[in-house]
Amino acid sequence: MWRSTKKFVLGYLRHRSETALVVALLALLFVSPFWARAQKPAQGKVTADLPAGPMQGKATTACTECHEARIILQQRLSKGAWTKEVDKMIKWGAVVDSADRDALIDYLSTNFSPDKPAYEPQRTAAEKGAKTSK
Amino acid sequence: MDCTMNSRRLFLKYLSAAAVAAGARPPVLMWALPQEQVVEVPGEDGMILRSYRFVDLESPVEYFNTWLTPVPHFFVRNHMHEPSELDPADWRLSIGGEVEKPFAWSLAELLKLEPHSVVNTLECAGNGRSLHRPQVPGVQWGQGAVGTARFSGPRLRDVLQHAGVKSTGKHVMFRGLDEVPGKVPPFIRSIPIEKAIDADTLIATHMNGSPLTKHHGFPARALVPGWIGAASCKWITEIKVIEKEFVGNFMSPAYRFPNQAVKTGDAVNPEDTHPVTALNVKSVITGPSNGARLKSGRVAVHGVAWAGEADVAKVEISTDGGALWNSAALGPDQAHYAWRLWTYDWKPRKSGDYTVMSRASDSQGRTQPSTAVWNPSGYLYNAVDQVNIHVA
Repeated sequence: MWRSTKKFVLGYLRHRSETALVVALLALLFVSPFWARAQKPAQGKVTADLPAGPMQGKATTACTECHEARIILQQRLSKGAWTKEVDKMIKWGAVVDSADRDALIDYLSTNFSPDKPAYEPQRTAAEKGAKTSK
Repeated sequence: MDCTMNSRRLFLKYLSAAAVAAGARPPVLMWALPQEQVVEVPGEDGMILRSYRFVDLESPVEYFNTWLTPVPHFFVRNHMHEPSELDPADWRLSIGGEVEKPFAWSLAELLKLEPHSVVNTLECAGNGRSLHRPQVPGVQWGQGAVGTARFSGPRLRDVLQHAGVKSTGKHVMFRGLDEVPGKVPPFIRSIPIEKAIDADTLIATHMNGSPLTKHHGFPARALVPGWIGAASCKWITEIKVIEKEFVGNFMSPAYRFPNQAVKTGDAVNPEDTHPVTALNVKSVITGPSNGARLKSGRVAVHGVAWAGEADVAKVEISTDGGALWNSAALGPDQAHYAWRLWTYDWKPRKSGDYTVMSRASDSQGRTQPSTAVWNPSGYLYNAVDQVNIHVA
């Protein structure tokens, strides 16, 4: 597309034809957004955030030392299941003050309970030149 | 493979036409997604991002329209962080434990062994976990933590033969170079000696003809065909022959299945469980997509089916919610541990809403159940697959 745009621009410079100018400008108008995007791929946030709430800061510190928030955002668990998960993670090194354990379980089981809508995952960007079949 | 180029070409042609007809989304349309919805992961193409740190990526099922899954479309499952530095010149593979002559090999030494190739459908034990009810903790995989590739490398048994396994050696343990966060137990697992010395169990160094990428275990991984992906340890650096099954978190309580059916939602006594090994019989509909609105006319229902160590015997399709079943045509490409592509040519009699279902059966007499067996960790989900569509 860039090559054809260049051709139109050069055509204008050579012949100074008004038609070529119009076509060149139109071509740039239509082509540039795609061209610009191809040069700089779309990019979302690499890591996600935990939801707001009184335990957001402490949960972020305790959990995302080892794994990112998406692992939590996609769970839909009962309070009993969250209790087991939190205790397992404390055993595995998550730093949670014993005074904060119950509040952390409440925060997780309130925000990520089975009745919450399904988590919508992001996608990775399209790989340039990736083969779609083999 | 008992296929001819002609039949393969015809099948692929049919399949690609089917994919277009069914509205399969080619990856190029990834650009159409809002910018905040995509995250760049080098070497990966339009994958579903389950986690970025550590990396867990799922294939959208519409990618499963080729027998071999291209590496950028192949699911990635990590329990912990990938090795941050891995210089192939420094890499060593040590063999020890219950052997006569322990040794450590460089990559060049390993590659001197005769290579073998196995086309294998690799599936994460937790594939489909998000579909269990009640929901269970873990990576919430949809149906795409599975893929098929040609894995190549020396046979594990040739490596073991060099060391000489003692009669006391009954299990083979793999340790990888995963970087362990916090006090998480290391990802170490073992397989029984019988599976380790099977001619198709490899120390794979290549995938689809190219050296393994880092996400898939460069420079070498175990390849335990027909078994859950967790058996095929990545970035392998130590092989140890041991007397008993390895004792560690990733052998128990993880990756175990209840011996008896359990009441949904109940905890299970670890002593009443067994390790998850071979994969289930399973089929997945890859097109039309759930919720698709199709024009009137013929519909090519298509998908994949696999059965771990068994062979797929048949795939049946129901277009009336499970009352009547008809056989789908299996694709010509096949290998013992690999999935089969299948298609079903369907002409809806009238417009309306339809529930289309697929059900695979295998050479061991197993058939996909209407409801998967619930278990506390959500392993081996294999219920009959279904999509709801509208035909104009």
